[in-house]
Amino acid sequence: MSEVATLEQVEFAENPEPRCPCVLLLDTSGSMQGAAIDALNAGLRTFAEHVSRDTLAARRVEVAVVTFNTEVTVEQDFVTADSFNPPTLTASGMTHMGSAINKALDLVRDRKKQYKDNGVAYYRPWIFMITDGEPQGELESVVSAAAARLRDDESNKRVAFFAVGVEGANIARLADIVVRTPVKLIGLNFAEMFVWLSASMQQVSQSNPDDQVALPPAGWSAV
Amino acid sequence: MTAAPEWTTIGVSVRGSAHERLGLPCQDAWAVRRRPDGGLVVAVADGAGSAAHAEMGAALASAVAADYLTGLERPANDEECCAALSAALTRSLAAVTAKAAELQTEVRELACTLVVVLAEPGRVAAAQIGDGAAVVGERDGSVRTLTIPQTGEYLNATTFLISPDAISAAQVRVESGAFPHLAVLTDGIEMLALAMPSGEAYGPFFAPLFAFANTDTDPDEARAQLESLLRSPRVQARTDDDLTLVLAVRKR
Repeated sequence: MSEVATLEQVEFAENPEPRCPCVLLLDTSGSMQGAAIDALNAGLRTFAEHVSRDTLAARRVEVAVVTFNTEVTVEQDFVTADSFNPPTLTASGMTHMGSAINKALDLVRDRKKQYKDNGVAYYRPWIFMITDGEPQGELESVVSAAAARLRDDESNKRVAFFAVGVEGANIARLADIVVRTPVKLIGLNFAEMFVWLSASMQQVSQSNPDDQVALPPAGWSAV
Repeated sequence: MTAAPEWTTIGVSVRGSAHERLGLPCQDAWAVRRRPDGGLVVAVADGAGSAAHAEMGAALASAVAADYLTGLERPANDEECCAALSAALTRSLAAVTAKAAELQTEVRELACTLVVVLAEPGRVAAAQIGDGAAVVGERDGSVRTLTIPQTGEYLNATTFLISPDAISAAQVRVESGAFPHLAVLTDGIEMLALAMPSGEAYGPFFAPLFAFANTDTDPDEARAQLESLLRSPRVQARTDDDLTLVLAVRKR
């Protein structure tokens, strides 16, 4: 061969970007009215800003927003972080937490199927539930069925589900529903919490020998 | 008898931008050894991002496996070759376990993947635990993977040397042939070098690399050029993980 071999000729395989799905499952019941919902909205904007600052995370992290009060609403279906426009949420109504958990688990299951069908590699999905209360206005059987499904999904590593209780939340009740120890938000420190979440989503590609996710640092939470 | 063929090797590990951001060291490690009979040994390890002594585990595992395979008598057949690779993995695990005891820490804190390749005249064999890949190529530029990334459902959930049953579940492949071109890599560069999810080697990635390794470039200069490719914006835009690429070519 007479041609000069140079490394500029190296071409890269065109693989779809791996995806890291994250559902924000947000309590918008009546008790969140006022300072809490304002702080949550500001926190969402902080999250969007931070996660899209990292160019790889902006393409890999997919965010969906589900709100729950008397209704369970998909405010935002999965979208990559670079095109995530945080909604402005308002608060009213009851706390249909069981149905909300089901909806979030459905979203994650369906999204993974889409990834598989399209040959997209992905990371373990996260659901991040933020609530100021306990289930309310819902049949107890709905809540216990959702909790059982969540336990099954966690033990089969289908999802990592984190619960954050806002000031006044019934942490003991939350701990009955979710698998991982719920953390308690100190004051209304949503901005700090979302900065932590954004950083965690950016780090999620770090390989891990035992699937443990470090608990959030002191500063915004108390266990 | 012809003279033992001459191997030229270029190996580079580059710290990923995510590791820089998090203040983590480069947790990849590689080792290359020439055997007295003209064979070549390559070992590459990728320390788990969340393990406290990942870089130590990776360096130790790759060096121990490479040393073991270098000092070994030439395997007589494919079965002996497979057994030698398994024994190399076992030695690495023992070394990592002993190091954990010495440091008074959990062995998981030294978790790493491990790919070992033994290239003998007429035969090449590879064993792999976890992600990464071993690739062989012909002089006509064709390439294929010997071992492919071993991941579970999730991209960041792989098997490590210290995982239960990791050695018995390792991929082991032996192939007869001359295979003048050989590459071993860690998962940081997987998405650029392999067509996923099949794990097939991507020809346009490897052909220029092997052609480059075949030129008579000064070894230091060649390593610098490979490193600058791995640090280039077009690579860094696509991965934030540590990157390791070891190239070996048997000169004509």
